Amino acid sequence: MSELEFMSPVGSGHLSTSDGGISLEDISDCTKVLVRAGRGTAAGVHLKVTYGRSRRRRDGTLICGSRPDEWTLLAGPGQGAAVVGSVSDEGFVSIVDISHGRAMLRISGSDSVDVLAKVCNVDLADDMTPDGAVFSGSVAKVTCDLVRDDRDAGRSYLISCERSFGGYLFAAMADACAEFGINVPAGLSVH
Amino acid sequence: MSSQRLPTRAGELIDRSTSLSFTWNGRSFSGHEGDTIASALAAAGVEVFSRGMKYHRRRGILTADHWDPNLSVQVGDEPNVRAGSRRLVDGMQVSAQNAWPSLRWDLGTANQLVGRFLSAGFYYKTFMRPQFLWHNLYQRILRKFAPGGRVHWKTGTHGDYDKRYAHPDVLVAGGGPAGMAAALSAAEAGASVMLVEQEPELGGHLRWGGPDDLTVLADLREALYSTPGIEVLCDSIVTGRYDHNWVAVMQRSHPVVPERLIKARVGSLVVAPGLVERPYVFAGNDIPGVMLAGAVRRLINLWAVKPGSRAVVLSANAEGDAAVADLESAGVAVIAVLDARAGEDIVQVRGRGRVASVQTGDGRTLKADLLVTATGWSAPTSLLNMAGDRPVYDKVAARYFPQSLPDNVLATGGIEGDGSTAELAAHGRETGALAAQRALRLRHERRTQTARSVRPESTPPASVPDNRIPLRRSPHPECYRSTTHGLVDYSEDISSKDLIQAAGEGFDSIELMKRYTTVTMGPGQGKLETVNAAAVLAEVRALDLADIGTTVWRPPFSPVSLGALAGRIFEPVRRSALQDWHEANGATNLLAGQWVRPDHYGDPMAEATNVRENVGLIDVTPLGKLDLRGPDVANLLNLVYVNRWQKLEVGRVRYGAMVTEDGVVSDDGVTGRLADDHYLMTTTSSGAGAVWEMLEDWLQTYRPDWEVHVTPVTGGLTSINVAGPRSRDLLERLVEDVDLSADAFPYFSVRTGTVSGVQDCIIWRIGFTGELSYEIHVPSGYSLHVWESLVSSGSDLGVAPFGIEAQRILRLEKGHYIVGQDTDGLSKAPTAGLGGLVKLDKADTIGLPELRAAFERTDLPVLVGLQPDDPTIVPEEACQIVAAGSNEILGRVTSSRMSPTLERSICLAQVDPSLASAGTSVTVKLVDGRRITATVQEHHAHVDPEGARQRV
Repeated sequence: MSELEFMSPVGSGHLSTSDGGISLEDISDCTKVLVRAGRGTAAGVHLKVTYGRSRRRRDGTLICGSRPDEWTLLAGPGQGAAVVGSVSDEGFVSIVDISHGRAMLRISGSDSVDVLAKVCNVDLADDMTPDGAVFSGSVAKVTCDLVRDDRDAGRSYLISCERSFGGYLFAAMADACAEFGINVPAGLSVH
Repeated sequence: MSSQRLPTRAGELIDRSTSLSFTWNGRSFSGHEGDTIASALAAAGVEVFSRGMKYHRRRGILTADHWDPNLSVQVGDEPNVRAGSRRLVDGMQVSAQNAWPSLRWDLGTANQLVGRFLSAGFYYKTFMRPQFLWHNLYQRILRKFAPGGRVHWKTGTHGDYDKRYAHPDVLVAGGGPAGMAAALSAAEAGASVMLVEQEPELGGHLRWGGPDDLTVLADLREALYSTPGIEVLCDSIVTGRYDHNWVAVMQRSHPVVPERLIKARVGSLVVAPGLVERPYVFAGNDIPGVMLAGAVRRLINLWAVKPGSRAVVLSANAEGDAAVADLESAGVAVIAVLDARAGEDIVQVRGRGRVASVQTGDGRTLKADLLVTATGWSAPTSLLNMAGDRPVYDKVAARYFPQSLPDNVLATGGIEGDGSTAELAAHGRETGALAAQRALRLRHERRTQTARSVRPESTPPASVPDNRIPLRRSPHPECYRSTTHGLVDYSEDISSKDLIQAAGEGFDSIELMKRYTTVTMGPGQGKLETVNAAAVLAEVRALDLADIGTTVWRPPFSPVSLGALAGRIFEPVRRSALQDWHEANGATNLLAGQWVRPDHYGDPMAEATNVRENVGLIDVTPLGKLDLRGPDVANLLNLVYVNRWQKLEVGRVRYGAMVTEDGVVSDDGVTGRLADDHYLMTTTSSGAGAVWEMLEDWLQTYRPDWEVHVTPVTGGLTSINVAGPRSRDLLERLVEDVDLSADAFPYFSVRTGTVSGVQDCIIWRIGFTGELSYEIHVPSGYSLHVWESLVSSGSDLGVAPFGIEAQRILRLEKGHYIVGQDTDGLSKAPTAGLGGLVKLDKADTIGLPELRAAFERTDLPVLVGLQPDDPTIVPEEACQIVAAGSNEILGRVTSSRMSPTLERSICLAQVDPSLASAGTSVTVKLVDGRRITATVQEHHAHVDPEGARQRV
C-alpha cells in the first residue's frame, strides 16, 4: 500500500500572493489522530494540554486540546501508526486515526486574520486567540476545528473539517482570499 | 444654466485640479473630485433633482446631505442613490427617478389635479371594489406609480456584496467632534475601536465651520489616524443595534465590493450621530430654493456652490445666524433675516420650479430665490431606541434626549446636549474612556471564561461610575409649523393637513397615525419628519409634545441594499472521494441534503437490471458511520435501538431501528461488532448528525457513568456497495485476507481486511438491494484506487456503477422501507412493520412506554406492499388511497417505481389497518384525478421475499 498516493478531498493545492500577505494550503494528507481519554488515564496526563490550547511535542507532533477530555494530534503525512502508538491506551481511552476523515487547510500571512473575519465569527485578537489557541467555529457555514499555529513569527491557522466538505471549504476560503490578491483558479467557485 | 461655483473656500472638499465627466438625464456635465452628485449639479446650475412621490411637484436641494429626501437618484443600474452624499465618479450616468417621460415634463403632475383624493389613508379607502380589479387593474396601475429607481436584474453589474465579522471593544457611531474624541480616548485607554461615519469624511459639523473648527478638525483627524487600534470607516453607517451589542455596520465605498455588511460584536457602543436639522412646515416648503441652514452652509463651504442670489433667512439659532454670514461671504444678497426667537415668521413661499417670493408673518412679500430656515434639530435616537431607550422630550431645548441606557451603550455629542466644540469633544473623551473601561472589563471577563484565550494575570479593571459632566441643554424655541400648512414628510408627500385629517378620523396616536398616513416611513425613516409629525399631532390634540410620544425606531437606521444583506451566500456541499469519478463517467447528480450524489449514469433501469444479473457498484459514502468504543457500547445500543444488543458476537451485524421518546421511528441502520469493545454503527444518510448528537446527549447528560466514546467517521470511510450475484466473484479477486465464502462469511457479518492492497477496510455482508451484497468501507484517501480496481477487475463479470435511482428501484423491489419516506413524523414502530423487532420486555429503551402503548393500538396505519392492478401505471408517490366510493382518505402511496425485474409497477403504501390484509383491493387516486385499483401484497418485498438471493 505504500505506493498508494493519499487522495486529498481538496485537490486544489496551494494558493498564495506574491507579497506573502496570504498563503492558502491544502494539507489534508497530514496525520490526524483523535484521542479521547477519561480523567486520570495515563494518556490524559501525558498529553499535558488543556482544552483550548496546544503544544508541539519534540517529535513535531502538535497536540491540541480540542474538547474537554479530547485531544487531536497532528503530524506529518503517513505517521498515523506512530502517532497512535505514542499514546498510552491504558484505561478508558479511544485512539482513532481520523486522517482520512478530516480535510485540513493552513492559511498564513498578514492578511489571514482579515480573510478569516469574512467567514468566521470568532474573535481572533491576540489576547482572545493567541498562538496555540484551539477552538471550534463555523467557517463559511461549515463546522470546523481551528488551531492558531504561527509560523516564522507570522500568523498561521490550521482549519479542519469533515472530509466531504473539504473541496467546498477550500473554495470558500479562496473566495474570501480573492480580495487580498489571490487569483482564484477557474472552476473553484463557491457559488 | 450658469455656473454657481464660488471661488476657493477654506474648507472645501473639491480638488479643482480634477475634472470628472458625468451625465444627468443624458446631458453631459462635469465636476471635481470631492463633489457629491448634488453639489456638482448645483454648481452647474441644476435646481430640480426629483419629483415628489404622490403629487410629482418639483424638488430641489433641501439638506444637501445623506438625509436629503429630494436627492434620490438613479446611478447606472443602482437605484435610490443619495446624491447629497454620494461622491461623484468619472463617467457616472445619473438620472432622475419617479418622473416620466422626463424630469422637466412629468405626466405624474396630473396627480395634483386629483390631490384631494390622495389624502391620508387614500389607499385604505380606494381600490377596494370591485375586488376582482385588484389583481387585474389596480395593482398594475399602482405599480406604475411606485416611487424609487429601477433595478435591472439581468445586467449583472452590481458586483458581489460581502460580509465580515468584527469584535471591537468600542464602536463609535458618528465621526463628529464628540465621536472622534470618544474614539481617541477609548483607544488611548487600551480598547480596540471602530469609528463609523456615514459621510465620506470625518468631522461632522466642523467640516463647514469657521477657521477654528477646521483647526480642531485637522488636529482630531491627525490624532485619530496616528493612534493605533482605531479602524475608521467613512461612508459607512451603523444600521442597527441588537441584543448583546450585536451591531450591524454597512460599509460603503469599499475598494473591492459595492457594499459590505459588518457584523460587529461590540463591548461598548458609543452613539454620537450628532443632530439632524429639521425642516419647517409652511405653505410651499417643498419648492426648490427652500433650504435648511445646514444645506446652504455645506454647499458654500464644502463644495463652493452658491445656493441662490437673493435670500431670506428664518433663524431660530446660531446655525441660522452662521448661515447668514456664509451667504453674505458667498455673495448672496440676504434681503431679510427673520428672527424666530423674536417671534418673526414666514407663512408661504411662492414660485414655480424655484422660489420667487416669500411671504412673511407680518404680511410682507419679499422677492427672493432662496429661503433658508434654521428652526431646530431632531435627535436621531434610533440606535438608542434599539437599545431599549425611550427618549423624552425637553420643551425648553425643543428636542428629545436619551433617558435610560444599558451600561454597554453610551451617548455623546449633540444627541446628549449642547456645547462648544471643546465641550463636545471633552464629553466625547469622557464617554470614550468610560466606554473603554466597561468594554475592557467585559473583555477581561471573556478572557477568563474562554478556554483558548490568554488568562488575564491582573484583576479585572475596577468598575467606574458614570461621572461625566452632562452637556447643557440650550433653550430653543419650539418652531415646527407656521400658520399655514405644508409638507411634513417629503419622502411620502404627507402634509400637515393630511395628519390633521388622520387625527380627525381617529388615528390620533402617533403609532396609528404613522401607519395610516405612512408619515416617517420613507427612506429617511423619520429623521426629518418624526418630530414635526408629533408636533402637528400635539397641536391637534392640544397636548404638549412630551405627552404625544414618538414612534419606535427600529433597524435599519438608514435603508440597506438587499444585496448587502444577502452578501456572500455560503451553501456548503459535501462530496465523497469518488464524486469526481462519477462525474467523469457520466453521472447525473442530485443534491441529497448537502451531499452531491450520482442519481444515475444514463439508464437507471438498466443499472438495476445489471445488479440483478451481474454486479453493480454504488457509492454510499453519505451513509452515517459512528465509531463506538468502550465497555458500555452494548448498553448504549440497547438503549437507543428497539431490539436487543447484549449478545451480538464479534464479527456479527444486527439491524436496529430507533424511535423517539414518543415512539415515532426516527432512524435505522446496521451496527457491527468489530472487537470486544469496538462497534461501528451506521445510520441513514440524512440522520447521521442527529443520531450522533442524540448519542452524545445521552452519554453526557443521562448516562454519564457509561464508558462509551463516539467518533463520527462518515467521510473518513468511503462506503462502496458491491451488489449482485457475481459480487463475491469480484471481491475474491481483490480481497486478500478474508474468506468470503458463505460459510466463513455469512449474511449479516463483518470483517476487517485488505482490499486491493488497502489495509483496514471494513467489509460487511449486508445490502439494500436484495442481492448477494457486500459493503466495503475504505479509508477515503485510498478509496478511488479501490473503486477503480473494482471497476477494472470486474469487466468480465459485467460490473457497472449504479446510482441512487437504481438503488431506489432495487430496494423497493426488495421492500426495504426508508425512514422519512415510507414513514413520517407520526409513524410509530407498528406502522413500519417493526413488530418482530421491538422488544417490549427490555428494561429500558428510548420511547419504551410509547412503544408499549402503540402495540396495544389497533388503529395505526400499516405499511404494506402494493401492486396496481394495471401494471403499466405507476402512481406518483404521495398519491392518496381513498375509499372506493368517496374521497375519504385511507392511506397514501409512500414509494412507487416501475420494476424492471417484474416488469410492472410496485409500491409501498401506508394504509388504514382495515385495508392491510394481503389481497385487499384498494383505490388509489392519481394526481390527475383518475382512480385505479391496487392489491395489497403479502410482503413488503415484491422480489424474493424469502431472501434467498441475498443469503447465498
